[in-house]
Amino acid sequence: MITARMKKRGTVWIVHALLGLWLVISLLPPVMLVAASMNRTALFRSPLDLLMFRDFTLENFTQAFTRGDFWFFFTNSVIISTSAVVITLVVCVPLAYGLTKISGRARQAVSFGVLAMRFIPYVVLALPLFLIFVNLGLSGSRIGLLLAHLSIHIPFATWMLVGFFDTVPHELEEAGIVDGCSPWHLFWNVTLPVVRSGVVALAILVFIISWNEYLFALFLAGNNAQPLTVGITRFLGGAEAGAEYGIIAAYAVLVIAPVIMFALTANRFIVSGMTAGAVKG
Amino acid sequence: MAASRRDKFTRGWWFILPGLLLMVAIVGTPLFMGFRYSLHDVFLYSFRSQNFVGLENYRRAFADPLYMNSLRITAIFTIGCLVISVGMGILVAFLLNARQVKFRSMWMALFLIPFVMTPVVGGIAWRFFIWQQEVGVLNQVLTFFGGPAPYWLLDRDTALWATIITNSWHLIPLATLVFYAALTTIPDELHEAGRVDGAGPFQALWYIVLPMLRPHILFVSIIIITSAFREFDMIWALTGGGPGRSTTVLSIFAYNRGIANQDMGMANTIAFTMFIIMAVVAWLYITVYRKTLGDKA
Repeated sequence: MITARMKKRGTVWIVHALLGLWLVISLLPPVMLVAASMNRTALFRSPLDLLMFRDFTLENFTQAFTRGDFWFFFTNSVIISTSAVVITLVVCVPLAYGLTKISGRARQAVSFGVLAMRFIPYVVLALPLFLIFVNLGLSGSRIGLLLAHLSIHIPFATWMLVGFFDTVPHELEEAGIVDGCSPWHLFWNVTLPVVRSGVVALAILVFIISWNEYLFALFLAGNNAQPLTVGITRFLGGAEAGAEYGIIAAYAVLVIAPVIMFALTANRFIVSGMTAGAVKG
Repeated sequence: MAASRRDKFTRGWWFILPGLLLMVAIVGTPLFMGFRYSLHDVFLYSFRSQNFVGLENYRRAFADPLYMNSLRITAIFTIGCLVISVGMGILVAFLLNARQVKFRSMWMALFLIPFVMTPVVGGIAWRFFIWQQEVGVLNQVLTFFGGPAPYWLLDRDTALWATIITNSWHLIPLATLVFYAALTTIPDELHEAGRVDGAGPFQALWYIVLPMLRPHILFVSIIIITSAFREFDMIWALTGGGPGRSTTVLSIFAYNRGIANQDMGMANTIAFTMFIIMAVVAWLYITVYRKTLGDKA
């Protein structure tokens, strides 16, 4: 009896120790970024030194804000990410809803196409878009970059939303039809409220994907539309010497702050969004 | 009856058409143009003069040892990320699902951070603070125990594995999340039955958990394969494709050919071979997935 209990205690400890170890590995890189951003860093310093904030300063943040056009990159990131979210929702919510209303071959064909598009490597789209945008006069513009983002968001969002709409029971709309609702009314007032949390989850994921996106920006942003992810690599040249490294860390902290806040506060939505489709066919 | 069916039909299509047309335009145009460019000689700063060369670019690519090298590196990178992420994902999910663990949603929220963290920034953080030769955490720990202090990212033999581990760090939360969600649906009675039959935690993992997780493993695998196969950001921030060409995956190789060497025809050819590989993977996945679900039902 006693041994069984001790064994149980032992398991609890082992499980928590392993989870704790994994937590340290998961969070070490962002924690080190925060530590480095708040220390005076003329040269590379040891991690313990940084984590104890021996040389605390917020100087790096002032530098990150004032040098290297932070607000320019920030504005581009905000505009592109929020427009991507709005357009993706406006386009994909009706599209996915409609897909659950048609039946048979047509639905299968469109769903298959949408799923297949999710497999396309980004570079396959980015390279031709580079030349297409030069032809259309869209190179180095926010609109061009936004269109590129939409080419990955729309298939992703449609696929995810179909999963959410499929969970809405048919009886709900049938009741609406009996009451004589218009198609638009059925969509807007009957079905959409049921999948509201799914739509919020999608909006958050699309925002995070756009905010984090780098490859399209590198290919297509030119000099006028660069987001924060391109902005940060501008500093990297000076970083190897160690000189700019506190500033890069401060800059990096500013870049990841919004997405990490999402991860911590809207965690419930992200979880439901990421597990959607895991079990459906 | 017939009228209501037609109503249903048109009702759906009115919602679908605008989005569908936009999607086809926005994805179909670059896809078609990319294929077209791959059949031509196209150079970046004189791209208006395009000579049709047929499949010559493809022949050149397959004869190019650098292309084959990139293909091999991409394969190692993808499979490495797949194995590590799925393995660690199951392990962490299994630990998190242990009966004694409390505050599970808090653990999960914190575990998610590497997944949402901007990959470029993640790459920079690992490069400066983990892999860095002198003050990186890894070498600090190694030298504390009297071990060596290698130049992880500057050595051809270790750079690829360092990028694989870093990218797995980014992908594991996704696997953990899906597996954890699946594990919570396994009824307690099943574990109870296992315990009565004298199964330890590892037997439970092998005989109860893994078979239940099969469709989820397939689902996670395909997402990880798709994501790792096209990965660019993380590797670019860590090594830029070097040292030498030891981490030049196909995405980076295509970028180098198209933008740095200005050979857009070749770059699009490389990209299009990636597209074909993923098309095969997609086809395999859809067939296998239907089969798995089929014999489950």
